[in-house]
Amino acid sequence: MRPALAALALAAGAVALPALAQFPGAKPDLLPPDRAFRLSARALDPNTVEVRFDIADGYYLYRDRMSFRVEPVMAGVAVLPPGKRKHDAFFGDVDTYRGSVDVRVPLAQAAAPGEALTVYAQSQGCADVGVCYPPNAQQVKVSVPLAGARAGDFVEPPAKGLFN
Amino acid sequence: MHRRTILIGGGIAAVAAAAAGVAAYRASRTRERDAAALLALVLPDLSGREQPLAQWRGKILVVNFWATWCGPCREEMPHFVRAQAEHAATGLQFVGIAVDQVDKVRQFTDELGVNYPILIGGYGAIELSRALGNSVGALPFTIVLDRQGAVVWTHLGAVKEPQFNTLLAGLLTPA
Repeated sequence: MRPALAALALAAGAVALPALAQFPGAKPDLLPPDRAFRLSARALDPNTVEVRFDIADGYYLYRDRMSFRVEPVMAGVAVLPPGKRKHDAFFGDVDTYRGSVDVRVPLAQAAAPGEALTVYAQSQGCADVGVCYPPNAQQVKVSVPLAGARAGDFVEPPAKGLFN
Repeated sequence: MHRRTILIGGGIAAVAAAAAGVAAYRASRTRERDAAALLALVLPDLSGREQPLAQWRGKILVVNFWATWCGPCREEMPHFVRAQAEHAATGLQFVGIAVDQVDKVRQFTDELGVNYPILIGGYGAIELSRALGNSVGALPFTIVLDRQGAVVWTHLGAVKEPQFNTLLAGLLTPA
């Protein structure tokens, strides 16, 4: 009886498991883009927002595929630090970032002390295992420091759920 | 007592196995539906003409989601061009779905001499590829449909040429 049941359970498992294994999916160890390229930001002062990407090991971002927008204050031209130059057969020389990169985004007009700003960042990157992510839009809310106060810490977007 | 534990354990295992079986069955039913959704796609080609994917039903169809901004995508395409040239007569059809701008795509496919249709997919194409197993929505993503229109293989990342050739050889051999 016991061996029979055990055999039955095993047999059922043997039938079910290969069926599951056949279900082809993404490489399970690949991170979703928001986790591979973690965005955070802070307002340095009423004229400047600083945006940070923490890039997971084995992933990289393209320097010239980043863009930034701030609301409700208009952003100026972002100051992108030099990346690591890499030759691309189609696009020529391209700069990439690994590890962590801080980008300064000047504001076209000074924001008010204490004002809440929404920072929108678009970025595009790849994983060394040989896949690339489509351009990824992220956003985070920051507060302009009050007059005389030092800049706050970097703020991450609130967690959106298990798969973000 | 011991015997009961084993019975309960066996029962739980059987229920779990049955649940897994149902999940696998549902997954396969869902994928049939998604394969149908893939074949129901109508996307513009590089001259802007709408191309229904259903026109290639009955062939062994390799649908490759790619973009010029994706290095690994560009690297695997010469292999697809070779395979297309080699097996066109036996009913192998590659179709590229570019998640990209038409001018960039035209420039790259001209340079490479791509010998199979390229359609412009936009980000909606990535959403469809997610339903077909591309859970992180990355590129390149490749789906192979058999002559009956069933998904027989999906792969995220550049395909490995020997493994892919073996798969194609198996599908192309008349049963």
